[in-house]
Amino acid sequence: MKNLRQSILLATVSLTLILASCHKDKKITPVTPVVTTGLYVLNQGLFNDNNSTLSFYSYSTKQVTPDIFSSANSRGLGDTGNDIEIYGSKTYVVINISSTIEVINTKTAKSVAQIKLFNGTKAREPRNVVFYKGNAYVTSYDGTVAVIDTAALTVSKYIIVGRNPEQLAVANGKLYVANSGGLDFPNYDKTVSVIDLGTQTVTKTLTVVVNPQNVVADNYGHVYVLSAGDYTAANPSSLAIIDDNTDTVTSQTNFDGSGMTIQGDNIYFITSAGKIEIYDAKTQTVSNANFVSDGTVITTPYSVNADASTGEVFVTDAKDYTSNGTLFAFDKTGKKEYSVTVGINPGKIALVKN
Amino acid sequence: MQKKVSYLKVCLRPLSVGLLCLVLPVAVFAQKDTTKKLKEVKVQSAPVPLVKSIAPVQQVLAGDFDRLSAFNIADAIRNFAGVNIKDYGGIGGLKVVSVRSLGADHLGVLYDGVAINDAENGQIDLSKFNLENVQEIALYNGQPDAICMPARSFASASILSIQTIRPNLTTDKPYKVLLGVKGGSFGLINPYLQWQQRISSQWSFIVDSYTENANGRYKYKVQGEGNDSTYTRNNADVSARQADGALYWTKNDSNKFNLHINYYNSERGLPGAVIFYNTTSNQRLWNQDVFVQSGYERLWKSSLHLLINTKLSRDYTRYRDPDYQNNQGGLDDRYTQCEFYQSAALSYHLLRDWEVSYAADFAVTSLGAFSPINALYNYAYPTRVTFLNVIASNYTVGKWRFQGSLLNSDISERVKVGTAEPSRTVFSPTLMATFLPTNSPELQLRAFYKDIFRYPTLDEIYLFTVNGPRIIKPEFARQYDIGLTYRKALNNFLDFITVTADGYYNNVSNKIVALPNQNPEIVSIVNIGKVYIEGIDIVVKTQTRTSNNWRGSLSVNYTYQHSIDSASNLQIPYTPQSSLAVNAGVDYKHAGLYFNQVLSSSRYYLDAAESQIGGYSVSDLSFIYKLKISNQPAVFSAHLDNLFNQQYSVIRSFPMPGRSFLLSLQITI
Repeated sequence: MKNLRQSILLATVSLTLILASCHKDKKITPVTPVVTTGLYVLNQGLFNDNNSTLSFYSYSTKQVTPDIFSSANSRGLGDTGNDIEIYGSKTYVVINISSTIEVINTKTAKSVAQIKLFNGTKAREPRNVVFYKGNAYVTSYDGTVAVIDTAALTVSKYIIVGRNPEQLAVANGKLYVANSGGLDFPNYDKTVSVIDLGTQTVTKTLTVVVNPQNVVADNYGHVYVLSAGDYTAANPSSLAIIDDNTDTVTSQTNFDGSGMTIQGDNIYFITSAGKIEIYDAKTQTVSNANFVSDGTVITTPYSVNADASTGEVFVTDAKDYTSNGTLFAFDKTGKKEYSVTVGINPGKIALVKN
Repeated sequence: MQKKVSYLKVCLRPLSVGLLCLVLPVAVFAQKDTTKKLKEVKVQSAPVPLVKSIAPVQQVLAGDFDRLSAFNIADAIRNFAGVNIKDYGGIGGLKVVSVRSLGADHLGVLYDGVAINDAENGQIDLSKFNLENVQEIALYNGQPDAICMPARSFASASILSIQTIRPNLTTDKPYKVLLGVKGGSFGLINPYLQWQQRISSQWSFIVDSYTENANGRYKYKVQGEGNDSTYTRNNADVSARQADGALYWTKNDSNKFNLHINYYNSERGLPGAVIFYNTTSNQRLWNQDVFVQSGYERLWKSSLHLLINTKLSRDYTRYRDPDYQNNQGGLDDRYTQCEFYQSAALSYHLLRDWEVSYAADFAVTSLGAFSPINALYNYAYPTRVTFLNVIASNYTVGKWRFQGSLLNSDISERVKVGTAEPSRTVFSPTLMATFLPTNSPELQLRAFYKDIFRYPTLDEIYLFTVNGPRIIKPEFARQYDIGLTYRKALNNFLDFITVTADGYYNNVSNKIVALPNQNPEIVSIVNIGKVYIEGIDIVVKTQTRTSNNWRGSLSVNYTYQHSIDSASNLQIPYTPQSSLAVNAGVDYKHAGLYFNQVLSSSRYYLDAAESQIGGYSVSDLSFIYKLKISNQPAVFSAHLDNLFNQQYSVIRSFPMPGRSFLLSLQITI
């Protein structure tokens, strides 16, 4: 009987040891991917899941390399990637909750620097990036624009702007920053900070409709600021146009759209009905209210970008916001060329010309 | 009663466009007498409380808490088949329980027969309750057997019933005092006191109190940051105290009254998800909960049985996040939930084998909210009025026993700001049967069908809405179960063996799912999900006879759950397909050594194939020794948890502690 007891105990213990030893950490061996001409898609992943990833689509192989950042660096991007822009030979990935800027070599996806944006121990929560004359300008939710020297890859200055700044754009030697106040719901901010890029100081603060988020500049002296409004019938989304000479708001009109981006003269919007709409900056009119012409169904259009040289338009689909999304490519007439699977919540597309 | 800063609350906080936020989406010391009748064997602890039950039931008694290395109620029931605990890790971490893949909102929790309700969040955090005053915890799939009980006991897919210790003293020694202290890893110091007093032949009381202080720190590793560094979980401290007093009046077994007062107060840090490259968290949570409940029970000779319960409760929560990047220096939200609850149940035996009952419950639940620094926009200040009426019947014929019930739920709401959710009435039937196929009671077959729902929580309907309440339908869960219990008293080296096995099929429709929106301010909560669940629960328990003061015991609990979301066609998140819990122990004289092993297969953390996270295997060892201190009985116990220092997490981004220990000493005067 004693023997039986002992053997039962022994069996249980050894079973445990076997099972315990089966539990091995996954070790990712770094590889050096080759990034040719194609697209980087920044997938946000989900809040608190640390599953933001970068997908690369190659035009030549027509293949997607999923999570190329992890493959190249043996570590993850972090939590909620919000913006990706290419400047020179480097690509800047803005990670909101992790509060970092990953500067990567565009050709290999290898991290050159990880710039941490913290105020003491408090995360600044960076959102978007633009570039001007060797500097990167990064908005953060703590109400600042960080000036990053792209050679030294360090922050040289923080410029104080409005509450929870989102996107920003360069026009006429100035920086236009949309102050959303998005974390002060429902008391949003409704200002645009104008920063002189020579002195790197705020020279003027303009008032627009509440909750401004997207900013783009065209080639005709206009800066477009899209406000999301407060989601009630009283304050719908609205588009402001700013004259970049006088820095005055020349028009402010209700406008059904989000996710504003510009390529050449075409300004792209995602409408509340999920259509891709094109606004012509030259004629100042909507030139195409429904760009997709072949009936391709995009469940949850999430971001748009376009290649001005070919007229191709790229749209990501976030689907149910929890599973892998899709990247659609359309020719200039709005017919689908192809679609590929990317990561969870593909929120931003960058065009790689290697 | 629980940490009310649910993930819903945190996630529903407005986040700016582009930042996507998803709501993920819970000792009757030795000689306890049981109904067990097994030869003339001395049972030194009560290993198999064999309640004759129509519904599948699993039980754990006070004497078993140490062998399960349990520190709180969630630990004590983690071995149960069909139980899945969402554990956010650490001593102050949220622990919510889902049974048979139905989600924590479908579990009803009873405290001495009266439901602990949370209309605001729906989920009860089981890490709060002191185990020291708990006599027994039972989990019923479907509903408990007795039909003379409050209507709320019929109103959940499963019922977790917590019974506290009742004084059972004689005039020889009209008092009993238990003094104890627990301490160990996480900087834990947890002294407790229990005082039982007999006042007269009819009156007695019991008072329980504890304080718990811990820094909550533990080491963990992060996979995915590309280094092998060990971090320390910070801002995980807990400071809690609880006092529970109960007054009993017992004229005789069929005429009794009790009054219960419970007070709980805590402050803790919320360490939050482990975010790559950003370890800062300064979120704090305060809870202050109080309830008073009373029960009166009378059984007349005519078999008329009356049960009346009343409860008043007030739960207060304060949540502070100083780092939230708004203009007011962060968040400081305070929520109050007050409830008045009245229940009356009446049953009567029409025939000796045929009992009928009627129960009616009435509850009014009000929510308040306030913040001294940031206006809580559009807060509805909702009040929910719930009427539950249930008729039920038990019928025994030959080898068959049947139970049927029909519950009517009528729920309406009113608000101070905005508009209220439309009121609803739902009928919910349950049918149960058992059958003894042989002449001996060793083998029992059973089956049940229960159709029940969970109502959307007040947070789901009203919290941070922009344009009026979210119109959400109840989420329905239909359960079909077929099972058997086999128990045999043995005369060889084994004392007994019991086997219970159940196969079940559940389907969940109108599943309430939170979806982020293009405008994350407007998180939409909708009824879109359907889940099909096929499962098997198997429990085997055995024990050797005591021989030369030696005794061995073994229990094995196995759960298989194939729980498929119809949209993704994948296993639902955080639900392992297989889990196994093994507990083996040896007792020698006054000492016992127990080994507990929990195994879980891999899980998904999202409704997406690429979101797989690995399974885990955790072993705990515990030792218990009964001794005398100054001639008073005392118990020393030591737990060594996560023996092999496994690095794992139950919830993604919430690492569990590695190896830890807990020592305790208790003396009875």
